[in-house]
Amino acid sequence: MLTKIAGGDIIDPVNGRLGKSDLWIRDDKIVAAPAGGAADRTIDAAGCIVMAGAIDIHSHIGGGNVNTARLLLPEQHAAHQARPATTPLSNAGWSTFQTGCLYAKMGFTTVVEPAMSPGAALHTHLELADIPIIDKATLAILGNDDFLLSMIRDDASSQMIEDYVAWTVASTRALGVKVINAGAAAAFKENVRTFSLDDVVPSYGVSSRKIVKTLQAAVDSLGVPHPLHVHCNNLGSPGSADTAAATIAAAEGLPLHLAHLQFYGYGTEGKRKFSSAAARLAELVNATPEVTIDIGQVMFGQTVTVSSDVMRQFSARGSAHPKKSVIHDGDGNGGGIVPYSYGKDFYGTMQWAIGLELFLLIDDPWRVFFTTDHPNGAPFTAYPALFELLMSREARTEMMAGLSSSAMALSTLAAIDREYTFEEIAIMTRAAPAKLLGLTDRGHLGAGAIADIAVYRRDGSIAKMLGQAAYVFKDGDLVVQDGEITHYRWGKALRLSPSPDKAMVRRLEDYHQQRYGLSLDWFNFPDSAIAREQPFGEVACRM
Amino acid sequence: MAVAWIGNRETLVERAAAHAAALLGSSRCPVFSLDTDIHGTRAAIALAERVGAAYDHVDGAALSRETALFTDKGAMTVAPGETRRRADVVVIVGELPKIHHEFVGELAETVPDLSAKNQREIFLVGSSGVSAPPLNKGRKATLLSCGEASLGATLAALRAQCRGRQTSQPVSNFDDFAKALEAAHFPVFLFSGDATEGLALEMLQGLITDLNRTSRASGLHLPASENGWGSALASTWMTGFPLRTGFARGFPEFDPWRYDVARMIAAGEADLHLRISSSIVQPQKKQKKKSRMTMIALAKTQEPVAGAAVTIAIGEAGVDHEAVVYSSRTGSLRSVDARAASELPSAATIIRLVASHVSAKAALPC
Repeated sequence: MLTKIAGGDIIDPVNGRLGKSDLWIRDDKIVAAPAGGAADRTIDAAGCIVMAGAIDIHSHIGGGNVNTARLLLPEQHAAHQARPATTPLSNAGWSTFQTGCLYAKMGFTTVVEPAMSPGAALHTHLELADIPIIDKATLAILGNDDFLLSMIRDDASSQMIEDYVAWTVASTRALGVKVINAGAAAAFKENVRTFSLDDVVPSYGVSSRKIVKTLQAAVDSLGVPHPLHVHCNNLGSPGSADTAAATIAAAEGLPLHLAHLQFYGYGTEGKRKFSSAAARLAELVNATPEVTIDIGQVMFGQTVTVSSDVMRQFSARGSAHPKKSVIHDGDGNGGGIVPYSYGKDFYGTMQWAIGLELFLLIDDPWRVFFTTDHPNGAPFTAYPALFELLMSREARTEMMAGLSSSAMALSTLAAIDREYTFEEIAIMTRAAPAKLLGLTDRGHLGAGAIADIAVYRRDGSIAKMLGQAAYVFKDGDLVVQDGEITHYRWGKALRLSPSPDKAMVRRLEDYHQQRYGLSLDWFNFPDSAIAREQPFGEVACRM
Repeated sequence: MAVAWIGNRETLVERAAAHAAALLGSSRCPVFSLDTDIHGTRAAIALAERVGAAYDHVDGAALSRETALFTDKGAMTVAPGETRRRADVVVIVGELPKIHHEFVGELAETVPDLSAKNQREIFLVGSSGVSAPPLNKGRKATLLSCGEASLGATLAALRAQCRGRQTSQPVSNFDDFAKALEAAHFPVFLFSGDATEGLALEMLQGLITDLNRTSRASGLHLPASENGWGSALASTWMTGFPLRTGFARGFPEFDPWRYDVARMIAAGEADLHLRISSSIVQPQKKQKKKSRMTMIALAKTQEPVAGAAVTIAIGEAGVDHEAVVYSSRTGSLRSVDARAASELPSAATIIRLVASHVSAKAALPC
């Protein structure tokens, strides 16, 4: 079927297309304007902007910890509408089904779950497979697991470590690798309560820095397109900016992605010993081209923090709101679920301002990514309001008026004039994520790209405009019209498939038999276990 | 071999499914009770939404105690693999379901390779009559008991004594326990909702929290039913809620009292009961009173289930067909092959077939 999206304002920074034009789709791909131009279907996009489908690189949408958070908080996520929806289970509060629908309505067509415990890969992929419409991907967590720490301790060759990373990525169907507070979960099991970049994991004699550097090198050497995704040490602590700065410096010329930098943007100045270090971190990011970051913006209100940084979550239990939490010591990282309400007090305001400062002070939209670390800083449903804050200084000023004046007095936010343009938004939420993840088939509107397209009707309210797309196409399929889901389709989980080394597989089989008393078969699964047609999409490693 | 019946009469599966769909369509208060794998659960919940049913596990009470621990209180838990590799003190809390006895035996036979202590001490909390899973070579768990006091009361006394407080009745062998804790690096408490009341589970978590003030400890959740916990997980990602959720108003509502399916049946609220149990079900004895409730049975059976308006034979997950199930041995979901593959269909297959007759809407989403 040939579809013409007619007369919209195209915003496609990758291909240099900016301005009023038509966009053509044949079946599931974007094509050049055909000779003759007889469309089977024409979408009137006059008065609209047309962008590629958005890509979220860091949003906790599925897996063991996310599901435990749902279980912990049944009172927090009742159905959002008390009537049956036209699509199954799409009104079930914080369900996989609702997740796909809400993302699609905003024009997002690919979302990355950034923290999959390798032992729970099947569970994670089953959840992702029940998220309709959008494509998904996930990052496998390494860096607190005994097998890797033992190899580093024993000076295993870089080839062996790469073989292990490749096996993990392949067997868990991951798109990349994440390390979360490297070594801290292992140290926490031995009753260590704080852990920094140069601290050493007891029993292994391996520093956090060594773990990060080892994994960074392995990921790069394997040609995994996405750089090592790092959740640094000391998340949320006053003074954590020092840790983030040290981690940025540790990139040392190789690509490195730092997750939710806002949660490390904290200095120790002022009478509360809690201040903004955003300007300092932004300057460091600007000066370190091999580093990319996402923000993890805080927005006000009730949410729940979900993290595999079990040490940090354990220490945060006292601030739980409501007062209940789950702390799980897993085979590698485990995780912690702590509900939290961000108030407009000094601390909440400071966190909110630091996130925006980072967004606005980091110059290159190709290296800063749009996230709230859903649901940690805020649910992803806060994205429309966040777009408005980035694109409108007036909206920021209005918001600041109701916040803690003592916090704002310590922030540079009020003095920042920058407003993101639609072109910058298209880079930050489309082009750059595709590049960062190695997804050449999306993030742009060039001929040959998959037809993941979001059409937004211009409106005085940026939040309204970007919160309810006029049309969304996924693989050429019209899935949203006037902000409502028109029907379900099932996306894929994007994965890398590096070939596992046979000797490493044998070694892992022995390891699991000896240490867990179980065959490796207990942890493997066939694609058919997902019970959907073509549950996975293949992404190539760099040659 | 017949695989479907309407009443006692053999029929085609397709026809039985259509009849089941008609019964579901005319029911004013359908309820489902589940004992099935992940894909069976997913299909059942999707069908429940379509027909406005409430659903629960076949042994909903035990599972409800376990989910209530998480929905109401929270918990500190540990993975079974870490338990095997790290637990230098293992405390069995009350009586555990038999399905976990093999793992407890395994813990008794092995030593923690990630603990400097390199040995494992085993305790058992409960009343004086509590029975422990069999351990190897006549090894016995050290009993922590307050005589005939309940498990909850014993745990309360144990917690109090661990905090240095006096109790009206001291816990037996407490000094041994205190000494073991003092030397322990990672004690783990094994618990289940099977025979443990909710307040006892909370008291246990209080004890674990206390221990974590200065050292490490955690609890290993060994669910009363692996299928039940798997269904709870799938329900939670599909609807936001665990079992005992209902779609009576068209959207999912979680209410552990209102949607207690056993209660709904006993109170006469339900007018149709869809029982999905892939394990072999013995035909029920003829009921004394004629029930007004209609029953549809999906079961691994070679004959119609007594009293069922419709019976459709299904296979057993991991025996007749490959499946995804919850494994308490790994603490996560696991793919299992068919041990003795047969032509018996999975629960999910039959539920989707029934759903295809319920309305002209699109196929179930899973």
